[in-house]
Amino acid sequence: MGIEAVGGVSGVRGVAPSLASLPTGSVAPAGLVEQPAGSADVTQAFGAAMARGLQSVEAMEATADAKAVQAATGDLADVHDYVIAANQAKLATELTVAVRNKAVEAFSEIMRMQA
Amino acid sequence: MFSDVTSVALRVALGGLSARQRATADNVANIDTPGFLAGRVQFEDSLRDAVRSGDVRRIGSTGATQARSLEPTREDGNNVNLDTESISNTDTVLRYQLLTQAVTDRMSLLRTSMRTS
Amino acid sequence: MTIFQAIGVAGTGATVHRKWLDAISDNIANVNTARPTTEAAYQEKRVEVEAVDYGAGTGGVKVAGVTAASSAEGRLVYEPDHPYADEGGYVRYPDVDLSSQMSQMIMAQRGYQANLAVVDRARETYMAALRIGGGA
Repeated sequence: MGIEAVGGVSGVRGVAPSLASLPTGSVAPAGLVEQPAGSADVTQAFGAAMARGLQSVEAMEATADAKAVQAATGDLADVHDYVIAANQAKLATELTVAVRNKAVEAFSEIMRMQA
Repeated sequence: MFSDVTSVALRVALGGLSARQRATADNVANIDTPGFLAGRVQFEDSLRDAVRSGDVRRIGSTGATQARSLEPTREDGNNVNLDTESISNTDTVLRYQLLTQAVTDRMSLLRTSMRTS
Repeated sequence: MTIFQAIGVAGTGATVHRKWLDAISDNIANVNTARPTTEAAYQEKRVEVEAVDYGAGTGGVKVAGVTAASSAEGRLVYEPDHPYADEGGYVRYPDVDLSSQMSQMIMAQRGYQANLAVVDRARETYMAALRIGGGA
């Protein structure tokens, strides 16, 4: 319809490709790696999960934006529609950001260990 | 960061709603003025058309238009209806709160995604 | 339409009850309006209302018209000293029943207040909706 998602969340979007391109085995803690072949799958699965999560967050934000524009033009019949959509987008974003931050923290910690 | 369709549309709508509230105050102040026709503010229809076109610049330049109501007048030529004005005021205040909430929600969403810990 | 349809609909109800109150006050003010027998008497005003979009659409109420509810003959009262008296000494007074107008006035007032209460409740409901998720 021509309504863009919030442009400023690009910071979250930019993390997924870098997670997916992490060197094999660096996500799992050093002492728990049993099968080196499995950790590559773990990395890719994690990256794919992050990407899916980001897509659904973007979709929720787009819904909340659309409802806000409807409210602005006076076409919103139920106010709770907008409030619920906005809250869903907010919670989904907070969850995604928390997961991203934890992943980055874990990665930094592992890099510190190896150094 | 703040020039997408939604932000601009919300800004325009907030401006239109405050213009409407000013018009309501004007109408109520002039409720006994002979020959006074109630003022009405319109912006929703032109905003809807601009949003449908998707052109951000067109949305940003959508303004609120003022017109005089052509409803039937009383003997003194005044057509201000107190019930209509107070309902309109209630409605405008509620819409304003919803839209300011929408603006706040979007900003706090941005702030959430900027957090690093 | 208003952002909460209930508010707009209650607004139409408030307007209609106020117009009813206006008509009643006109009737009461003119309850003793004398006229010569050559003219028609003051006729009691009744506000006819009808529902808007009955059964479909948004709803609400509007005034369909103002009609005369008492006869044009009114009451003939024998007052030979009255400046309007005809040869027989009769003057025409309106046929307005004051007690029925008073009870209608109470109904109009209660109706008006009830509609305003709807607006109040709708506003509180709306504010509660805006507060969803605000507790966290």
